[in-house]
Amino acid sequence: MNVLKVPARTIAVFVLPCLILYIGLVFVPIVVAVYDSLLDWDSINKAKFIGFDNFKTMLFHDTNFWPSVRHTLGYAVFSMLEIPICLFVAALMNRYVRKANTLVSLYFVPVILSVVIIGQLWKTIYNPTDMGGMLNGILTSLGLDSWTHNWLTEPKIAMYCLYFVSLWQYFGYHLLIQYTGVQNIPTEVYEAAKIDGAEGFKADWYITYPMVVPIFKISIILAFIGSLQSFDLVWVMTGGGPAHATDTISTHMYNMSFLSFKYGYGSALATFLVFVCLVFTVFINFVFKKVEARYT
Amino acid sequence: MASKALKTTAVAVTAAALLLGATACGSKNDNTSNNTTNTGSTNAGTNTPAAENVTITFQNIYPDPETPSYKMLHTIVDQYQKDHPNVKIELDSLNTDQQKLKLKTQAASKEVPDITIVNPSAQMKPYVDAGLLAPLNDMLDQNGLKDTFQKGLLDSYSFDNNVYALPDGNNIEVVYYNKDLFTQAGITAPPTTFEDLVADVKALKAKNITPIAIGEKDSWTGSFLFMNVLLRTNGGPGFLQDVIDGKKTFKDPAFTDAVSSFQDLIQAKAFPDGATSVDYNTGGNLFKTGKAAMYIMGTWETGAIDASSVAGKVGVFKFPKVKGKGDPDQYMLAPGSAFAISANSKHLKETKDFLNYFMTEMPKKQFELKNAVGSGQIMTGDFKAAGYSDLAIAVLDLFKNVKGGDLAFDNTMKPAIAQAHLSSIQNMFVQKVDPANVANEHQSAYDANK
Repeated sequence: MNVLKVPARTIAVFVLPCLILYIGLVFVPIVVAVYDSLLDWDSINKAKFIGFDNFKTMLFHDTNFWPSVRHTLGYAVFSMLEIPICLFVAALMNRYVRKANTLVSLYFVPVILSVVIIGQLWKTIYNPTDMGGMLNGILTSLGLDSWTHNWLTEPKIAMYCLYFVSLWQYFGYHLLIQYTGVQNIPTEVYEAAKIDGAEGFKADWYITYPMVVPIFKISIILAFIGSLQSFDLVWVMTGGGPAHATDTISTHMYNMSFLSFKYGYGSALATFLVFVCLVFTVFINFVFKKVEARYT
Repeated sequence: MASKALKTTAVAVTAAALLLGATACGSKNDNTSNNTTNTGSTNAGTNTPAAENVTITFQNIYPDPETPSYKMLHTIVDQYQKDHPNVKIELDSLNTDQQKLKLKTQAASKEVPDITIVNPSAQMKPYVDAGLLAPLNDMLDQNGLKDTFQKGLLDSYSFDNNVYALPDGNNIEVVYYNKDLFTQAGITAPPTTFEDLVADVKALKAKNITPIAIGEKDSWTGSFLFMNVLLRTNGGPGFLQDVIDGKKTFKDPAFTDAVSSFQDLIQAKAFPDGATSVDYNTGGNLFKTGKAAMYIMGTWETGAIDASSVAGKVGVFKFPKVKGKGDPDQYMLAPGSAFAISANSKHLKETKDFLNYFMTEMPKKQFELKNAVGSGQIMTGDFKAAGYSDLAIAVLDLFKNVKGGDLAFDNTMKPAIAQAHLSSIQNMFVQKVDPANVANEHQSAYDANK
């Protein structure tokens, strides 16, 4: 900080507006939610303080809670698995594709589209055949009738169909991040490696991948936190149904707070979500600290 | 030194500007609302009619310009504003789901719009308990408004002898059917028993016709149908009330019978594939575009069916007996969404005056717009002469013999129990279930949220 040679007071003046906004819009609501989670409250009438009962119900009695956690973690795992693939593609593009920017922009298009549009689009793709579902239509025309499904309404596969849409949508996003990371590696390093006899995949293995670790970490954290909060896509495509088969923590929270009039309980779910996000961010940072220490 | 001081000042000013910018949106609203009250109080004594400017916020669920309801709303509001130049009615038109959510958020901060929409009985009770809604008894006694409502209808909106909301309709659940498609499947007459209905479903399915249209992503649709089965297997209305009173449980045979009968219907492939990913509107359109043979829904759909491509081909019949039980003249009753006034409204008197005018005008306008089937208010006038369709007349005839019935599940039970019920019924659409399990699910949700 001393590098800037600016008095602390001046820094404070610049930081303060943001800090106040942050405290007001992020920190205070979290504290309020934690407090609300201790209440039996419908958000309209008088609240009753019940201590940790909401959490007890959540962890031990709510039959929809653990499945929703499982669905949410599934989201997180799949979206994190996607990032190494993005990195691989980015490294390939960097080496073999000239003017790769256009390609990256193309991959990025789904990210720009509103999730609601994406949801509606994929819903029509997944629709049953007699409602004009494209996926089933293609399968049928290929003679693969036995592969057709009611994609979004069969409890066993509905969740995977949603994962796929998310992966498809955010592929370009992570690709862009990884591509930028790969591009930022100075060419001198590769030239030096070439002299030492490392080229192609070997150079990738020893230079590209280790050097993008910090960028890789950003993608992983973004993907993880983003998928823990997954709500909009699920809401548009299945509404958490059929019968909770695609509920995530967020949709379950919405159900409880706004449809079941159990605001206190909804806050308990929100608190759980914040807690999980914190724990995993700390955990991922810890893991990457080790990894980075090895390579840099 | 001078330049340093200047720099600091500049920085401070920028920061202050940022902060102001951040709070500007927050304070703006307060200012405007204060202004209106101020002008109000200064002019109150002088008695000049056009001086007291009042803005009434009117939250409503008629956002679609194509519908008769939208036209009705706008003509009445425009007329009222013309007659009362000092009153401005600000419309906040939302679709049903958005409105429910918005009202809930507003209620949490005690900022309910002057007029808003609530649903009957259990669904509006939290708002009444919290003292957010104004009693409307005095306003109902003006201009004979009270007598325009059908007998007993206002009970669904009354708590402790106070009426808190005025309904926009009063509907029953019926079965609409496409006569052409019935003929194609070789069905000669509408079914009079549930077993016949299941047989007809199979006959239609054999001809590759979707038997019953439904949009089960909005899970209330399946529940509304299921509750009709329960109304029959219970031999009459009051099952849920009996549960609340502790006389019955969900493990009662009336309930498990209803579940297994409803399952028979689902297993006979009565509903389109993937019904649980289809929303209410899309589901209804299957029928209105002639792709499905039946549509089991509230009579509020009559106007929309008459306006669709199957107009003229559609007939209507009563939901049949199930296992020989029940009286077809008992229906699932659907007292409509209703207009309520905020107890904290700054212009309570003017708002009541407007709503009184609105409710007095509504039946006339609805009648003119051919949207009067299922009106909550008594209609006078010759429907046939006014050009109503045969379907509309047939539906109106059914209304004449209504011998009571039940309200929807979510109008009777607490929201948390209702949600558990809705997903339990939705589950039946995707997999075969054991009726005893469904009963258990209901009972434990009921016990947990009593």
